Amino acid sequence: MNAVVRKQMSIHPDVMDLLNNQIAMEMKASASYLAMASWCDQRELLNSKDFFYKQAEEEREHAMKIFTFINDNGGAAVSPNVTNVNNDFESLRAVYETGLEQEIAVTESIFKIFKTARKQDDYITEVFLQWFITEQSEEEDTFRSILDVFDLMEGMPLKMIDERFPKE
Amino acid sequence: MNYESDIEYCYQIKQATFCKYVLITPSKEVQLTFPQMLELRRKIYDLTTFNTLNEIINTDNFVLLFVADKQHLIYLDIPQLLKLKEEIELFFLDFNPVLV
Repeated sequence: MNAVVRKQMSIHPDVMDLLNNQIAMEMKASASYLAMASWCDQRELLNSKDFFYKQAEEEREHAMKIFTFINDNGGAAVSPNVTNVNNDFESLRAVYETGLEQEIAVTESIFKIFKTARKQDDYITEVFLQWFITEQSEEEDTFRSILDVFDLMEGMPLKMIDERFPKE
Repeated sequence: MNYESDIEYCYQIKQATFCKYVLITPSKEVQLTFPQMLELRRKIYDLTTFNTLNEIINTDNFVLLFVADKQHLIYLDIPQLLKLKEEIELFFLDFNPVLV
């Protein structure tokens, strides 16, 4: 049975499990952004609504990227359960803060997979994850920039703050 | 009665050809492809988490598991379940890195 797994699968089985968890995390993030988009849409916060609809799509694309990567490398991608999505927010700022927290959690999770891939000599996954690390750095920056606008425009009407956000 | 050695030979995984594997159970031999092996691994790992094991012990104390794309149904009590998990771990342990 020497090296049988290596012959059938190019990625390490432990790394595959973590990647499957990551798919679930990205899909949960996508569903969560959809809830945020709906919250904004109902309150006519047009820029925020567009932003979160786009974020929801992007997170799904990330999940799909990992999903096909696992299967392309001989592994078994698992379609995840997405439950307990929060649809209730106290303010627009709280929506963005939740978004940033979510992005940070995703980044941490990717770092964990990256470390495991490196430890297990899984070079294929390590290279694959480099794109995600750059992407996460950009995502976190976007959220932090928006939260800076909140600080700069403190006390202004919500609609006016929303109009200052970058248009998609 | 040597209980440990009884369990040891209950469930075994062997390689038949390059991409065919055999799961040897007390009652039959089940042919598995690699994707079926991965699915078996996922199921066994799900069944052997602390919470799931607790739940099994507190209810039926055994599990019935479909393997090889639902072509076979196998019975596993707790020691057999844990033994099969060990067997699967051993099987997937053999991930040799590319030597440079």
